[in-house]
Amino acid sequence: MSDAPLVFTPRPADPPPPSTIGVVGWMRANLFSSVPNAILTFLGAYIFYVVVYAIIDWALIKAVWEAENRRQCLDMVGRSGACWPGVAAWIPNLIYGLYPKDQVWRINTGFLILIAWAVPLWLPRVKSKVAIGLSLVLLYPLLVSYFFHGGAQTLVWTALIALGGAAFLWVWLTTLAEMRFGLGFGALVARLAGAADDERARRIGWGALAALYVLALLIVSQLSFVEVQTRLWGGLFLTLVISGIGIAFSLPAGVLLALGRRSQMPLIRVFCVTFIELFRSVPLITILFMFNTMLPLFLPQGVEVNRLLRAIVAVCLFASAYMAEIVRGGLQAIPKGQYEAAAAMGLGFWQSTSLIILPQALRIMIPSIVGNFIGLFKDTTLVSIIGLFDLLSMSRAVGEDTRWLGLFIEPFFFITLIYFVFCFLMSQYSLNLERRLGEGQRR
Amino acid sequence: MKPAIELIGVSKWYGSFQALKGLDLTVAEGERVVVCGPSGSGKSTMIRCINQLERHQKGDIRIHGRALSGEAKTDAPILRETGMVFQSFNLFPHMTVLENCTFALTWVKQMPQREAEATAMAHLERVRIPEQARKYPLQLSGGQQQRVAIARALCMAPRIMLFDEPTSALDPEMIKEVLDTMVELAGTGMTMVVVTHEMGFARTVANRVVFMDQGEIVEQAEPELFFSAPRYDRTRMFLSQIL
Ligand SMILES: Nc1ncnc2c1ncn2[C@@H]1O[C@H](COP(=O)(O)OP(=O)(O)OP(=O)(O)O)[C@@H](O)[C@H]1O
Ligand SMILES: [Mg+2]
Repeated sequence: MSDAPLVFTPRPADPPPPSTIGVVGWMRANLFSSVPNAILTFLGAYIFYVVVYAIIDWALIKAVWEAENRRQCLDMVGRSGACWPGVAAWIPNLIYGLYPKDQVWRINTGFLILIAWAVPLWLPRVKSKVAIGLSLVLLYPLLVSYFFHGGAQTLVWTALIALGGAAFLWVWLTTLAEMRFGLGFGALVARLAGAADDERARRIGWGALAALYVLALLIVSQLSFVEVQTRLWGGLFLTLVISGIGIAFSLPAGVLLALGRRSQMPLIRVFCVTFIELFRSVPLITILFMFNTMLPLFLPQGVEVNRLLRAIVAVCLFASAYMAEIVRGGLQAIPKGQYEAAAAMGLGFWQSTSLIILPQALRIMIPSIVGNFIGLFKDTTLVSIIGLFDLLSMSRAVGEDTRWLGLFIEPFFFITLIYFVFCFLMSQYSLNLERRLGEGQRR
Repeated sequence: MKPAIELIGVSKWYGSFQALKGLDLTVAEGERVVVCGPSGSGKSTMIRCINQLERHQKGDIRIHGRALSGEAKTDAPILRETGMVFQSFNLFPHMTVLENCTFALTWVKQMPQREAEATAMAHLERVRIPEQARKYPLQLSGGQQQRVAIARALCMAPRIMLFDEPTSALDPEMIKEVLDTMVELAGTGMTMVVVTHEMGFARTVANRVVFMDQGEIVEQAEPELFFSAPRYDRTRMFLSQIL
């Protein structure tokens, strides 16, 4: 009997003491753990209350919502309440600048196309996401350039616009084909045409793309929009155009510059280092000035580069130089063994860089890349100094309107909210992206 | 016996430091060579010169009779006959185990996805971890990771396998599972060059043991002879330290 093992019966678990759980427990642990902590809590709460109350009081409670002009606002509440009718009257201009009212739908359509182009990136079962993303960055601007600018099409421009249009058609046809049949557009057409072997299938696929392009050409050449010169562009629209192009350009350019900086070839390395260091050591505002005033001096007479284009080029170059350094940091974090493993398996430089190194490097760089995008988005306010009417300069114009003379704080408050919403969304999205990409790969 | 690897007077310098001093070594097809020697003796450098992760500056290297030229283009098909397993596994952390294996098949050999996956699964079964195929490398133990690395190299169907201290980064209980896999591989007639200090492995599997010191091959012999009657004092000292 003495050999029979003792039987272990686990004791039932006790509930935790009530003072450590729930809201009360949390407050005791975090807000009132000691006397100084409690004092700080009350002080913080008081300051928070004062500030928030002051803002709410000004922006909502005492605010004027209906008035003809600023005089009426002042007569009603003086300066103690916000005068929102001025901002409301200017909202179209804050968003579209001086873009003709009857043409504004073109901008809206352009942005709808952008959204429609990007939607497949979030759809499940779509396999060509990389190609769709690339087409968005490279070809969407071609299509939308005609929507935004309009005017007479030259032969080359028509061809380019049609390229963008064909890409858009391809994106959605491929998306639908992949969601429905699990095959890309070209492959699906080949399947339907009953292609016998791979070579035939590939040829039919290319034929389908060519047909798509011809179709796009036909549609595009029928479009005829009134020209809207870029000096009429402004407000949020202009801000998004400049920062959008800057963002779309700076990432690939930054990657190339960073790779160039690590290149074995001295000429490429020297060029990249010079470019990066030059543009990083000069403030953006200086570069904008340089491009605006000096560039025309270097160009041959008669060649005129439009002011917006100059600003965009300056922003792109500046942003690429910064992005290059961020990417370089990411590349350095990838252990040498990854390159060696790729090389040992017979991958060439471009394959191992784009498939092994960059995906890992970009993942760790997401926070800094998005940080850079946010910075770039806000930095576009600087283009106001070379006479472009971005969101910030547009908001200043409100107070110079004779009806709303001196109305500066309210429009500023309004555009602050706009900037906040955009930047906040970007940063939240980056957090989300980080979380999703990191799944199962925590070290 | 046809030679699989020939090193003829291979020298390698890092800056002004000479890491390899005119090495001569021939490995026959199907032969299994274990390379040992003290730290810094140039074992890794030699094995990395064979598949050109490091460029040698003097001498010739031939793989299956074909000389390496130093030109990436012409060397690539020759080097495809070698596979390499590293001390630190070097799996791609952003891909699943299966993707690690199929990756080079689809991108380098342009194999269709389905065929590549079948090949990869066959090799994962060979190293006995098919059930881990959908996991990410960092979710596996060190021994499992190293076996994935072996499967990944085997997927490319190399005729020569190079191992650089494949078990040095592993805990003792995992060393065995990796060594077992390598012993099985040896049984298939694969040409193997293994840098290792696992003398048990050398004794049972190797046809020849090569001892290196200070960038030179001091002596080489069959394992029996090498362990029982080393000719050089340097070898004796080394063996007395590690056995
Ligand atoms: N990239 C490098 N740059 C400069 N010197 C190097 C480099 N790699 C190796 N060496 C030197 O070359 C010599 C041989 O190195 P190697 O890595 O081949 O030795 P090893 O025999 O593999 O040693 P271990 O057992 O520690 O791995 C060492 O003295 C080392 O310091
Ligand atoms: Mg070594």
